[in-house]
Amino acid sequence: MIQLDGICKSFGENKVLSSLDLSAKKGEMFVLLGSSGCGKTTTLSVIAGLTKEDKGDIYIDGSRINDTPPHKRGIGFVFQKYALFPHLNVYENVEFGLKAGNKRGNQSKRGGNRTEVKRAMELVGLDGFEKRNPMKLSGGEQQRVALARALATEPECILMDEPLSNLDAVVRERLRHEIAQLQRDIGLTSIYVTHDQVEAMALGDRIAVLNNGRVEEAGTPEKIFYKPEKEFVARFTGMKNIFKGKITAIDEDNGVAQISTGNFDLTTVFVPSSVGTRVKACVRPEEIILAKSDRNTSARSARNEIAGRIIRIFPNGPLMRVLVDVKGDEMSVDITRLAARDLGLGEGDRVLLTFKATSVHVIL
Amino acid sequence: MSSSFRISLSLIAGVFFGFITLMITCLLTATSFTEFAGEIRSPEIISAILLSLQTSIVVVLLALLFGIPAAYILATKQFKGKNILDTLVDLPIVLPPLVCGLAILIAFGGEGILSRFDVLFTVKGIIIAQLFVASPFLIRAAKTAFESVDPDVVDAARTLGASEFYTFRKVSLPLAKNGIASGVVMTWARALGEFGATAMVAGCIPYRTETMTVGIYMHAMSGNTSASVALSMILIVIAFTTLILFKYLGNIGDGNTGTQGAAA
Ligand SMILES: Nc1ncnc2c1ncn2[C@@H]1O[C@H](COP(=O)(O)OP(=O)(O)O)[C@@H](O)[C@H]1O
Ligand SMILES: [Mg+2]
Repeated sequence: MIQLDGICKSFGENKVLSSLDLSAKKGEMFVLLGSSGCGKTTTLSVIAGLTKEDKGDIYIDGSRINDTPPHKRGIGFVFQKYALFPHLNVYENVEFGLKAGNKRGNQSKRGGNRTEVKRAMELVGLDGFEKRNPMKLSGGEQQRVALARALATEPECILMDEPLSNLDAVVRERLRHEIAQLQRDIGLTSIYVTHDQVEAMALGDRIAVLNNGRVEEAGTPEKIFYKPEKEFVARFTGMKNIFKGKITAIDEDNGVAQISTGNFDLTTVFVPSSVGTRVKACVRPEEIILAKSDRNTSARSARNEIAGRIIRIFPNGPLMRVLVDVKGDEMSVDITRLAARDLGLGEGDRVLLTFKATSVHVIL
Repeated sequence: MSSSFRISLSLIAGVFFGFITLMITCLLTATSFTEFAGEIRSPEIISAILLSLQTSIVVVLLALLFGIPAAYILATKQFKGKNILDTLVDLPIVLPPLVCGLAILIAFGGEGILSRFDVLFTVKGIIIAQLFVASPFLIRAAKTAFESVDPDVVDAARTLGASEFYTFRKVSLPLAKNGIASGVVMTWARALGEFGATAMVAGCIPYRTETMTVGIYMHAMSGNTSASVALSMILIVIAFTTLILFKYLGNIGDGNTGTQGAAA
């Protein structure tokens, strides 16, 4: 288990971490998600002992390691830019940690590390690369070497700093699956840093969103992406439609509640609150179904139907994003490109937006 | 327009190259081969050559011993007064060697705080003078080399269980070795060519403190041109070799591929 308690770190005037708490459970893949420059690398660097914290405590399996030098912490580190030893071949890179940590015994034994190195290389699928110059390998291969190098010493836990961010999309996706598989197989406590939501979603047992030098919110991917408690997290994870509103009715028997934004009403699932409470209602753009219609709304139970007019349509990755004017508010809807074409949507068209009550997430 | 510009450029550059070539040619043709062969067999010249080689090699070793730690600290550590130290290291490079020599002369002289050491007019004095003037070249080169080692690579070693010293030996030093090697070459060449400080500190005593450069000066002043020229020719050959070596080290340093595919 890795635990940080109230970690603070400034570089001169620049306050990077301000009382950051987090805890990654044993065997878990813990993802730190945050925008560039928010202190992700600094956090890992503090855990590994490469950067000295100004304040706060670091625990591994319950023991405080603030004053343990990096080489005695038993924490593996995978760097964003691989950081391989350019003067050593692949085998020697992987073997480095075994020799460094073990100066008396193993080194004199001829070929004493051979089995450990071989196992680590097999884990990452690098068999036969032993004699190669790491600087002449592809990015994906270099990161495999870095992974094998970190795993060879069988660390207590491993920290990965955006390990896939310098790779092209195809390699990135393949290696992402492999890292997930590997981590699960070994049951290695891991902290994985990324700015990429897809990666966070795909890898994390739990995700912590970093903001202003602290963990804004931590939880399972479902919680972070669909039921965040903080508006920042909702915005950060692409919850485009966030409306300020007030609870107008709570129907405990049917398990629904009504929220009025002032411009329109939304039906959501039961919220443990009281009528009149100010809340924020969020709907993910991909949860909304779009139909061409000029029919006016008549909200049915447990379901939202709202009429609107298309403001703009533009590509959004593989999907199309449709901006709809809904009684003076703007809603974003994601539909597939085929759907957009089949519906024959155009700017100014009247449309009907439909989404389930369970798709409306309420932030109290 | 542009062609007349090019012609003027070529002319100006031509004058410069012509001048250097002329000077070297004059020097090289000032003596015949038999004269040269005779001179370099004279005991005094041989003694000067040996003394120069001995002192400059000791200077290189001492510069490595003191310079590598100094360079490593300057390159990797943050501390108060680092800028001052950094400037201090560079000072002997821009200071006239005569001034360096004078400083040593005063420090080790009769009234100096180091007067109890018998250094003036001895080989020790030569070594100190050369070290003073030449070691900054090594420190400078080594510092640049250490600075260009990727800090992530050093950190990687630490997270793999390597102590700071192990990391220094197995990562920083091997990765900086080309830079250090070119620093060694520069320092050695500078020590070998040192005249001003050496002459101030150790004087010009034949067979005792007469290095090659001191010899060139003494013989030239006393009219024995062929001895001066012989010593100069040896220095020219060394200078050329140094330059070629330096360029070679610079080239393999640029690749950043480290060494030849390691111990494959
Ligand atoms: N060694 C350092 N010295 C000064 N500032 C630093 C240092 N390391 C990081 N920073 C600053 O701290 C902030 C966070 O950096 P970092 O942890 O690398 O962010 P991230 O990894 O999330 O992109 C940035 O503003 C960066 O400029
Ligand atoms: Mg970073």
